[in-house]
Amino acid sequence: MSTLSQRPRPRTRLSLRQGRRGLLYLALLGGGLIWLYPFLWALGSSLKSTDGFFSGGLNPIPSEFHWSNYSEAWTQADFSRFFVNTVLFATGTVIVTLLATSMAGYVLARTEFPGKKIWLGLVGVTLFLPHGYTIIPVFDLIQRLHLLNTLWSVVIVQSAGGMVFGTFLFMGYFTTIDRGLEDAARVDGASFHQIFWRIMLPLSGPMLATVGLFACINAWNSFFIPLVFTLSRPELHTLSVGMFNFIGQNSTAWTLVCAGSVITLLPIVLIFIVLQRFFINGLAGAVK
Amino acid sequence: MTSSNVSRRGLLRTAALGAGTLALGGGLSACGSGSPSSAADALTYWDWYVTQAPWVDKEIELFEKAHSDVSVKKTTQQNAKYPDLVALANRSGNPPDVFMIPQVPSVAEQVAKGWLHPLDEWATPAWQARFPEGTFLEGANVFGGKVYSAPLKGSGPQLQLYVHHGVFKSAGLTNPDGSVKLPRTWDEVTSAAQTITKKSGGKSYGFGFGNADGIGVLAWWLDLFVRGAGAPGGAPTVPGTGMDYRVGKWTFGTDRAYADFLELFVEWKKRGFFHPNSVSLSDEAARAFFERGKFGMTVGGVWNQPEWTQHKFTDYSLVTLPSPTATPKGYYYADPVGNGTFAAVSAKSKKAHEAFQWLDALTSPAAGRRWVEDLNGVSAHPANNNPDGIDSKPFAAFIGMTEQVLRGPVPLVRNPELAGVAPSVPKPDISDVVTGVYTGQIKDVQGALSSLADKKYQLLSDAVAAVAKQGKKVSMSDYVFADWDPTKPYTTKKKA
Amino acid sequence: MSLLDTRERKRASPTPPRAAAHPGLGQRIRAAKWSYLYLAPMAVLLLAFVVYPIFASFGYTFYRWNGIGAPGDYVGLANFRQILHDSIFWGAVGHTFVYAFVLVPVQLLLALALALVLNNPKLKFALFFRTVYFIPVVTSAAVVGVVIQLMLANFGDSAGSLLAKTGMTNGHIDWLGNPHTALAVIIAIGIWHTLGYNLVYFLAGLQTIPAELYEAAKLDGCGPVQSFFRITIPLLRQVGVVIVVLAFIGSFQVFDLVQVLTGGGPYFATEVVNTYIYHLAFGGSAGAAAEPDIGLASAASFLYGLLLIVFSALQVLALRGFSRRRAAADQ
Repeated sequence: MSTLSQRPRPRTRLSLRQGRRGLLYLALLGGGLIWLYPFLWALGSSLKSTDGFFSGGLNPIPSEFHWSNYSEAWTQADFSRFFVNTVLFATGTVIVTLLATSMAGYVLARTEFPGKKIWLGLVGVTLFLPHGYTIIPVFDLIQRLHLLNTLWSVVIVQSAGGMVFGTFLFMGYFTTIDRGLEDAARVDGASFHQIFWRIMLPLSGPMLATVGLFACINAWNSFFIPLVFTLSRPELHTLSVGMFNFIGQNSTAWTLVCAGSVITLLPIVLIFIVLQRFFINGLAGAVK
Repeated sequence: MTSSNVSRRGLLRTAALGAGTLALGGGLSACGSGSPSSAADALTYWDWYVTQAPWVDKEIELFEKAHSDVSVKKTTQQNAKYPDLVALANRSGNPPDVFMIPQVPSVAEQVAKGWLHPLDEWATPAWQARFPEGTFLEGANVFGGKVYSAPLKGSGPQLQLYVHHGVFKSAGLTNPDGSVKLPRTWDEVTSAAQTITKKSGGKSYGFGFGNADGIGVLAWWLDLFVRGAGAPGGAPTVPGTGMDYRVGKWTFGTDRAYADFLELFVEWKKRGFFHPNSVSLSDEAARAFFERGKFGMTVGGVWNQPEWTQHKFTDYSLVTLPSPTATPKGYYYADPVGNGTFAAVSAKSKKAHEAFQWLDALTSPAAGRRWVEDLNGVSAHPANNNPDGIDSKPFAAFIGMTEQVLRGPVPLVRNPELAGVAPSVPKPDISDVVTGVYTGQIKDVQGALSSLADKKYQLLSDAVAAVAKQGKKVSMSDYVFADWDPTKPYTTKKKA
Repeated sequence: MSLLDTRERKRASPTPPRAAAHPGLGQRIRAAKWSYLYLAPMAVLLLAFVVYPIFASFGYTFYRWNGIGAPGDYVGLANFRQILHDSIFWGAVGHTFVYAFVLVPVQLLLALALALVLNNPKLKFALFFRTVYFIPVVTSAAVVGVVIQLMLANFGDSAGSLLAKTGMTNGHIDWLGNPHTALAVIIAIGIWHTLGYNLVYFLAGLQTIPAELYEAAKLDGCGPVQSFFRITIPLLRQVGVVIVVLAFIGSFQVFDLVQVLTGGGPYFATEVVNTYIYHLAFGGSAGAAAEPDIGLASAASFLYGLLLIVFSALQVLALRGFSRRRAAADQ
């Protein structure tokens, strides 16, 4: 008779509880499997032979393991180059986004200046307008800057899309930081720049991870912008664009298509799993 | 924490970040400037040919062997996005040297906007004589007297009904000698579908298609079946087609053939003859399903064949122009305008001479013969369209059908000033309407057909009026050929 | 989200404060120069690549233009009129609203339920499950759409015949090709794809509720249902408003998923506003390539944007009013 708490508890209720708990785990696990089912199916199908694909149906487990599908997809679609391009592109976007939005978010949260309210209103309004038709002016602008067909243009345009969200997140975060730190530093004689770079930015670690991961995910999955801005240079294509062309060229080689999908999806999922603690905590903090 | 410590650390940190960004930037701009090493003399070539890619690659190989100082770098873009990508490339001032001419905007507009390079320097009358007479038409591939492109393809029957031998044989639809009984009339098609669906017990269906991509597959079905019923315009499977030139209008609402076929089409669906996933299948998936015998008949064009042959599937036959009666009352008609162009040299190309050589290679009779042998379609050079020497029986049959393609009226030949007319495409267009009829979303079929025909006529009138305002002598009567008999060849005379 | 303290008058620069009298505008600008500098990168990117294009596109709405060269064919308000009279546009608006109004409540309820389950501190592996249910969020909708379309196209019969066996339906169901089921399937996939966000938001919100409140309630004799309605819901209200607004904004912008799964078909049965605009701007709806009509697409975009602004404003007002009334009632 264990005494888990002060109040006496009959034994039967304890085992019932454990039974219920076990059932819950089972339900959650089962739900999780169903939840991730499309990915599991794609993973399994990517390893099937073409005939196995048809006979296997919705069963995610392949009868044999055709790893060659991956090497074929990789070489046929030139995925290694696209991979590198996507990594460069995502990294660039993350850096630009973090720099610009953290600085802006800090300033909007902690300082007063003429025009601040107008600026906030403008930024808020841009959230609502759809962007689908705006590619031509951006295209013209990039062209005039002579940046067309470079990865830089993709980075810049992609980062621009994440400005509002990131700034709001940082803004919200910086307002929650205790002013005492800032005041103490200022009393010590720290300059504006020192306060930001030496104190505030390091403190915003979780938000850096959150906004950074958001920017990384969006860049990784971005399709339209990389397509349009690297038109004449197919060697600059990112994974999503390469995947799109690959699907178009191989639409009935379904096992290859699945392999291509997995290649495109897997890295970002892995990055997420590694960094998820920061990301989810940061996201949660932002909402609060 | 002294201020000097803070500032130094902060400086270092900023420097590190900055250096990192610079390095990254170096990486990015290195990618941007590109690797000039191998690309010194490479001609950039854009197309959208996927199933025909083997032919293109072989031509590149042969060309590079014959011209050791030039190499060709091909980029195959997605079909659906191709016109936009070409437009953007031209906008950026950095278009490819040679590119397949996109269907949109009109070739006339592309010339007017300065996209295309005139070829007369090399396309001399002697060169032009290699092509059959009437190939170079003002308004099709010649504008303002200058040549801008040359054809690759010839006119064959655009669509056929594909019949799967295995499915038919399992359903017992064979002749006494064991060969497959090919359906040639609407009734025969219907009963074949019925037999297949009933006898297979759910494993196979009479018909199937793949409508998901929005390339207008269902307009093909309409087009193939109504021509023989006496609607010589068929359905507008390509923008600008589908008109009944006898009256210069779209006759969806007035010609009974359309409504009759749609009625039959819906009847087929109600009786379960269609593979149930047809609406959400992609066209390529439908091709694969046909290969596997999931349905017995489908409508498509010669572009289906290379893939099936690659997969070693040749056990099928083609039927063209299934009609309500034994002999068709309308046919497929040659399209010298649509087929008159293939690829063009970019006006901004710095290697126009080499670019023309590549274009010349692609449209040469020899390349045309290889095009036919690779089972891609009909060649613009009639001598190549010989079924002899072609292994694939279905393809040989297809090539044989080209004789049945008649010469019909061509408004552009009558009045080349029509080249600038660019009507908008209504939405919904004919393929949407057929889809809506099939799914039952459109209940008033006759009304939908009539209003679509009227809308298209209105849009064309507007476009013609717009061109007339520019001072050209065009009118809607240019589209009327009252003396045309759709069952006989017709020679279009130029307007006086 | 926390509001800015408008009573804050701290200066950014370390220079000693000026005279106590109100400083002039020029002085204030100079004093805040670092603010402007730090704001600059974000401002430049936003103005150049987000705001400017919006204004430029507004200019396009008055022309009929296929995107090539410069717009030349001035048509005034004709584009707006055409959109307003287009039944397909209003159908798209309707579908988008249906999508949003079904997705948001269903997804939020599911997310809340899951969050409640995972919030239990005695539950091990909560982090693991949280990650698992979040994974679909980080995957690109386009690739997911391709995979799911593959699944349904090839093996949708299996699901359909399962249902047939239960007697609910007869024969095969073409999930994405049947106008009656296509939108429902898309909504289901949409719910699945972004549920992770709201799960995390709710978890965060739940964690702000002190455990002692629940303990106290239990001592008072409250059952789980009662404590849910009297503690959880009221304390989640503030976070809940944000979650609901964000969820609606997100679902009104749905595009990738629909475009990949059905392209808006069959016969516009699943057309949402963004796919409608996309088809206008980039030509090529059903049928062969059609000329793009940028002016029309821009006009549609602006009309939709206006609709959304009005709706969001109403929504925020309504929710604020609602929560204020509830807060007052709770006093």
